[in-house]
Amino acid sequence: MNANTHQSRSFSRRGFLGLTAAAASVPLLAACGGGSASQGGGGAGGAIKFWDMPWAAPAYNDAAKKIAEGFSGANSKATYQIIQWNNFYQTFSSAIASKTGPAVSTGGGFQAFQFEEQGQIAYADKVIEKLKSNGQFDDFLPGVVEPFKTSKGYVAVPWQLDIRPLWYRKSLFEKAGVGVPTDWASLLEAGKKLKGIGAVGFATGSGAGNNIGNHLMIMMMLNNGGGVFTKDGELDVLNDRNVEAVEFLLELVSNGVIDPAAVSYTTDNLNAQWKDGKAAYGMLTLGVPERVGDTSGDIVVASPIAGPHGDKAALIFPNNIMMYTNTPSQEASEEFVVYYLGKLKELWQQKLMNALPVFKSITEMPEFTADPNNVKIVNEYVPIAKTFASQGTALSANLAALDGGQALNQFTQTVLTGKTDAKSALTAFDTGLKSVLKK
Amino acid sequence: MSSTTAQSGLARARKGLAPGGAGGGSLNRKSKLSAQTSRTFFWLLLPSVILLVLIHGYPLFQAGIQATHDGNLIATGNFVGIENFQQVLSSPAFWKAAQFTLWFTIVGVFGSWAVGLGLALLLRTKIPAGGTFKVLLLLPWVVPIVVSSTAWNWLVATPDSLIPSIFRNLGLGTPLFLADPTLAAVTVMIFKVWVSFPFMMMMISAALASVDSTVYEAASMDGASRFQQFTQITLPLIARSTYISWILMTIFCVNDFPTIYLLTGGGPVDATTSLVVLAYRTVFQDFATGPGVAIAFLMTITLVVVSVILYRQIRKSSVE
Repeated sequence: MNANTHQSRSFSRRGFLGLTAAAASVPLLAACGGGSASQGGGGAGGAIKFWDMPWAAPAYNDAAKKIAEGFSGANSKATYQIIQWNNFYQTFSSAIASKTGPAVSTGGGFQAFQFEEQGQIAYADKVIEKLKSNGQFDDFLPGVVEPFKTSKGYVAVPWQLDIRPLWYRKSLFEKAGVGVPTDWASLLEAGKKLKGIGAVGFATGSGAGNNIGNHLMIMMMLNNGGGVFTKDGELDVLNDRNVEAVEFLLELVSNGVIDPAAVSYTTDNLNAQWKDGKAAYGMLTLGVPERVGDTSGDIVVASPIAGPHGDKAALIFPNNIMMYTNTPSQEASEEFVVYYLGKLKELWQQKLMNALPVFKSITEMPEFTADPNNVKIVNEYVPIAKTFASQGTALSANLAALDGGQALNQFTQTVLTGKTDAKSALTAFDTGLKSVLKK
Repeated sequence: MSSTTAQSGLARARKGLAPGGAGGGSLNRKSKLSAQTSRTFFWLLLPSVILLVLIHGYPLFQAGIQATHDGNLIATGNFVGIENFQQVLSSPAFWKAAQFTLWFTIVGVFGSWAVGLGLALLLRTKIPAGGTFKVLLLLPWVVPIVVSSTAWNWLVATPDSLIPSIFRNLGLGTPLFLADPTLAAVTVMIFKVWVSFPFMMMMISAALASVDSTVYEAASMDGASRFQQFTQITLPLIARSTYISWILMTIFCVNDFPTIYLLTGGGPVDATTSLVVLAYRTVFQDFATGPGVAIAFLMTITLVVVSVILYRQIRKSSVE
């Protein structure tokens, strides 16, 4: 008998199977694993636990921490913790389930509605009352608070607006000798000429972790007077306006106006296209010049374009602050939210934010108006902005499954590959959405 | 030398016996432990058993509950029996992901094994700067997957990336490695082989190091060719390590989330969505916890079955 045979005796079947089962159970553990959680629920030692996301550069979180920790009201203090975007829903869920979650937090745009369905959200009606009594409520931009109102109360309070404006690089349009698009027809023509000089006429991407392509699909539907939902919140994917919008997108793809590799572009790939002077026009977030490192003034906000029926629209995400039922003191949570909203202007004063404010007074501050792109977005995009709720105004938990879900991502990638027709792509999108949206 | 003599020599060599050596004695005696020793074993094992139950048993139990309920990550929800499993098994997305997982695993396991074996054999020869070469070959395994996936993205993602540019300059067109569904699947599999071959190389190198060089001398004296030595001595003597590495790599491939998710996110159009990526997306993007956990359960069962089959091969190779 050789050494191998001897070793195999001590390597028993049972031991091996145990080891294998343990290793094989990794996917189960991964699927069920909880996120990190620390401290007691709502707040250790009576302090309000505030969880915030990395909304901008690290300096933002430093400033937000300073504001949060400066809170002193309702006989309470506040602690501050940054929660990374990776697996944030899992982090919140597991912490809330184990009663170690926050008392107040920012988070995903529709997160408050998801946790409200699960009975974890404290309604913000008293916060709204306090904002009305101190005059701050009147300072909100029009229409930003109402989407958070449900039949049971306000699930959250908005604190910043994440919008998707159109940007363009002036030098590329000059080089191509073409004007900036004002409607879909001129977008197609300009795109063809830009392609002629090696530029991308309508830059986007839907690779790993990049949701710009997803947002573009919805924005183009809205831009044509369509959208995924009716005014009553009913699913309405296969309407004529949506079909027309997708047909136009497919036309952009087939003409090479949309980069044939866009389907795989990550955020970094897309930013690199803008930085390298390859992307001429496209829908992105705020602060593109700063993000791609070109503040020469060559990259600027374009005016909204009109659809073939004259519709104009932009996609907006009202980000919000929410309160949870698991709190050391509901009164202190409410006081904290009112306090924090009152201090928000400091973040824009320090130019730390990569989003629009929800308060008119902040949009009028010199630190904000110094950037003409900001002014243009507030003046031209905010008035025509619509949410994922499309023709409706009320937000809901279903929008979370739409925003980050597989159905929209698959639809986007199908369109960007160009190997489909509009009705087939929309039908598959409709089927996918129906399987995940709650009635 | 006759063919019979060569075969006999190879058979002796596989057993690790030098020419003329005696051996083949059996150590097949069953240990008889006294009752006291058994008790000692029991108490020594108990902490590990408790730990295993806590670490694996409890989550498995919880996963079982979630897979049979319609809840979410916070609330258990209502009992739905095997409805989630039925839903998953009747979904085309599941079978598409299962098919990709199968190919990804086959290519990942055998591709990395073939490259690892070739390099392990190469490293046994005297090559200049062999030590440095060995360390460099370990880099794909050592470098964090986030870094290597980013590097690969830079290499292949856009038409202006390095590899597509090389293809274009060679007149081979501009392949869209991550945008074309078929090419994306191939790219992800090659990436997996690239990440995994150092592991295989180390496993095989360790197995080869334990093979007595006199075995090859004996085979040479018996007239065996290099190819015969490789197929009749090297492969059988490293079979046990090979099967173990296959089992481990199968588990690594089936459970591999970051390699796929960081490079393609499962796209384009689900072309590179494996079962573990599908489970993740079902739970955390579609917020369908029950079906997502059901996918993970089905994966676990499949992995255990595959592992048992491969384990039997290990026993078989040991007995032989």
